[in-house]
Amino acid sequence: MKPNAVIGGSVARRDLPEKLTGEAKYVSDIRLPGMLHGKIVRSPHPHARITTIDTSALKNLPGVHAILTPFDVPDGKVAPDLPILDSTVRYVGDEVAAVAADDEDLAEYAAGLLEISYESLPFVTTARQAIEQDAPRVHPDGNLVGGKPLSLSRGNVDEGFAQADRIFSMSFTTPSHSAAALEPRAAVAMWEGDCLTVWKSSRGVHADRLNLALALGIERDAVHVIGATMGAGYGSKDETRLSAIAAVLAQRAGKPVKIEATREEEFVAGRKRHSTETTVKVGVTSDGAITAIHAVTLMDTGAYLSSGPGVVRRAGQGALYLYHCANVRYDGYLVYTNQPSAGSYRALGAPQGHFALEVTMNHIADELGIDPLDFRLRNHVGIDGQPGERVTPTTEIIDTQPVEGGIPFSSNGLRECLESGAKAFGWKDRHGIQPRSPSHRKIGSGMGMFIYRGGPGGRSSANLRLNYDGSVQLIAGLMDVGEGSATVISQIVAETMDISYDDVRVTFGDTRRTPEAPITAGSTATFSTGSAARQAATELKAKILRIAATRLDEDVNALDIVDGRVTSDDGVAHLSLADIAASVTEHPLEVEASVTPGSKDHIVNSFGAHFAQVEVNTETGNVRVLKYVAAHDSGRILNPQLAVNQVEGGVSQMLGFTLSEEMLTDRHSGITLNASFLEHKSPTIQEYPPIQTIFADVVDPIGPFGAKALGEPPSIGVAPAVINAIYDAVGVRITDLPATPDKILNALGAQSEV
Amino acid sequence: MTTFTAQIELKVNGRVHNIQVRHHWTLLHVLRETLSLTGAKRGCDRGECGACTVLMDGDPVYACQMLVLQVGDRGVTTIEALGDSDNLHSIQQAFLDNDGGQCGYCTPGFVLSAKALLDAAPNPTEKQIRRALSGNLCRCNAYGRIIESVKQAARN
Repeated sequence: MKPNAVIGGSVARRDLPEKLTGEAKYVSDIRLPGMLHGKIVRSPHPHARITTIDTSALKNLPGVHAILTPFDVPDGKVAPDLPILDSTVRYVGDEVAAVAADDEDLAEYAAGLLEISYESLPFVTTARQAIEQDAPRVHPDGNLVGGKPLSLSRGNVDEGFAQADRIFSMSFTTPSHSAAALEPRAAVAMWEGDCLTVWKSSRGVHADRLNLALALGIERDAVHVIGATMGAGYGSKDETRLSAIAAVLAQRAGKPVKIEATREEEFVAGRKRHSTETTVKVGVTSDGAITAIHAVTLMDTGAYLSSGPGVVRRAGQGALYLYHCANVRYDGYLVYTNQPSAGSYRALGAPQGHFALEVTMNHIADELGIDPLDFRLRNHVGIDGQPGERVTPTTEIIDTQPVEGGIPFSSNGLRECLESGAKAFGWKDRHGIQPRSPSHRKIGSGMGMFIYRGGPGGRSSANLRLNYDGSVQLIAGLMDVGEGSATVISQIVAETMDISYDDVRVTFGDTRRTPEAPITAGSTATFSTGSAARQAATELKAKILRIAATRLDEDVNALDIVDGRVTSDDGVAHLSLADIAASVTEHPLEVEASVTPGSKDHIVNSFGAHFAQVEVNTETGNVRVLKYVAAHDSGRILNPQLAVNQVEGGVSQMLGFTLSEEMLTDRHSGITLNASFLEHKSPTIQEYPPIQTIFADVVDPIGPFGAKALGEPPSIGVAPAVINAIYDAVGVRITDLPATPDKILNALGAQSEV
Repeated sequence: MTTFTAQIELKVNGRVHNIQVRHHWTLLHVLRETLSLTGAKRGCDRGECGACTVLMDGDPVYACQMLVLQVGDRGVTTIEALGDSDNLHSIQQAFLDNDGGQCGYCTPGFVLSAKALLDAAPNPTEKQIRRALSGNLCRCNAYGRIIESVKQAARN
């Protein structure tokens, strides 16, 4: 690698200057001439049929321009179980109707004038109850999604448990919590003739365009979706009705319509993390080898399916693949309830599944008298993957969440993460720390490890165009959702072409100006669109050199681009890229590359190990994280500063999941009790602990420039490390997240009664 | 719907605006909707997140928690009064150098809270930094980089 390489350098985040000055435009900042404001009416019932909606009070109200009810809505669907509006409502907060008016005040007032009659229906608010035979049905086909659990296995767990000297089983619950992006979701819709333009909070404009076209019953070509600057989403900002409702209101009003969710709406009707109950059963020999793992997860998807099937699948991957084991099984039950809908949120089900798995493994290590680190060093999955026979045909790309054995990883830095993380943390000497006085502050250390799919995603395209000024335009359908993909993929282009990073311009997230791209999800953006961009850059460079060879009458093989200039192998720089752009008759000089990333021979996965030191106050139950080490194998790190920010942010965000955040609903009414930052209790800068980030020295042979997935993995290891540290400190194992002070005190009280 | 309006003078970024407002409008609403100063963000509209932070006679306030009629003759400073993207204020430059933000929605609020701190305490301790910024939420949790940004801004 050259000393001045762009890859591996911490170039500044591409759009940060505009964010720092307030110039960046988020959806809520968009103002169009004549724009109206929409307001949604939401259900006060957890389950009800809407019998009538009387709109007469609005008929002669000046400034009210459009009304939308389930009885006059286009009959397309936003998602398979989600019409634009439905005459059945399924949770408190579900969309009922909408109005558009001259300003927000009037829209809210008008919405309150709708006379809505409901017929209450029986409802169910817990997954445990919803799965019972006689439970009220949230959707006609029953509450268990698909009618049966997702069951995946390798080998035979019964045989595996028969080989075990000891069998351990533990049960856990994790709560629903909200991603609570600081930007509440918003959409602006505008019609020009039969063509619709929508600006929205989006992590996939092309997917949004398709969904809107299907919902509205119009051609995809008639829909133009523009992703404004994204006030983050952490995966949570799709699959809602907001933009479709705005589109219909705008069509009826004949004017653009903006809808901004309130903070309360974002908490209740946004998408939250799925709550779970998980039981992990593990068989071990007396010397600490694992013979069988069986995990069962019951997961509440709430009123709508959203990305539930992907989430329940991912909750099982730790149990299936993190430990070297011939006999594993996972059963995932995904259940509808009359709770607010869950959806995608950073790492989907992986944090829930790993929490259960890794706390169980610590318990086993303790029972066997083995250091938890040594237990993992002994049993973690290695580069050769799992024992067993490959099932996937050798001509097919390997799933990034495999079940079968017999397939090696492309790279696996898990052992290095365990070792380097332990060293940085001071794991071996951890009990040398003297507890501070007073004695009610107990210090303990914990750790856990994880595996995560990600990297290869769907088929992705990238276009590269040579601009007249010699800069290169990177054009891709991807959205930078705030994580920095526009920065990192620009680095890939600059490095591949040997041009300055500043000479790469970016066009992302606009369906009319960019080729198809999958949604920014599953930590796949760098890998997938990055691979396409790298290929396009290689092709554009070759094209430029061919043009230069003709013009200079040189052998193309004697030419290269060096520091942005076409240079011959004697080191003489001949032409700038602006010269090339000016000299070609074919304009614009543009290439498109599409790739389906992945491997037919290897599993591409990311890994990591987290270590936490906590102080537990036995008088107040308060837990403070004193020190944190996050060791990650995400392949080669393309931009260290952005990568460190991702890891630190992911860890801090999930300290909320571990210690304080929980969406609470009243079981008897279905009403959300704490739809505010004050009561949902996300971490502030005051709780932010010292976090040391370590990246394993891994260069993946498949990922672009050796990179693998990074966005989600930091969120997976937090709960296990912290909960195991609490046990180390005070001897209580919290199995129900979040580990709030009351739970710690109750557990300590129970402990002292024994 | 009955609304009450008033004609007021509002001093923002050194300029006096003569505007008509409704009685219940917040300072945030007027900044964003009347004056098109959209750098102050509406994250919660209930005084919990700090995305709407502006300075009032130099002190940080939540613009969503103040009725515009309460402002009186105090001078309001919004993020638009600091640098622009081609000519960043030194605090903004420190945030850029240290990657003190991800999605950016909280960022103008953090920059203004940091400015208020550094104007009052040019060499703050980390404890002072954390306390001064504890009214601003960042859901990307870029807190580590934000602390480094403010430390560098203090050095500059």
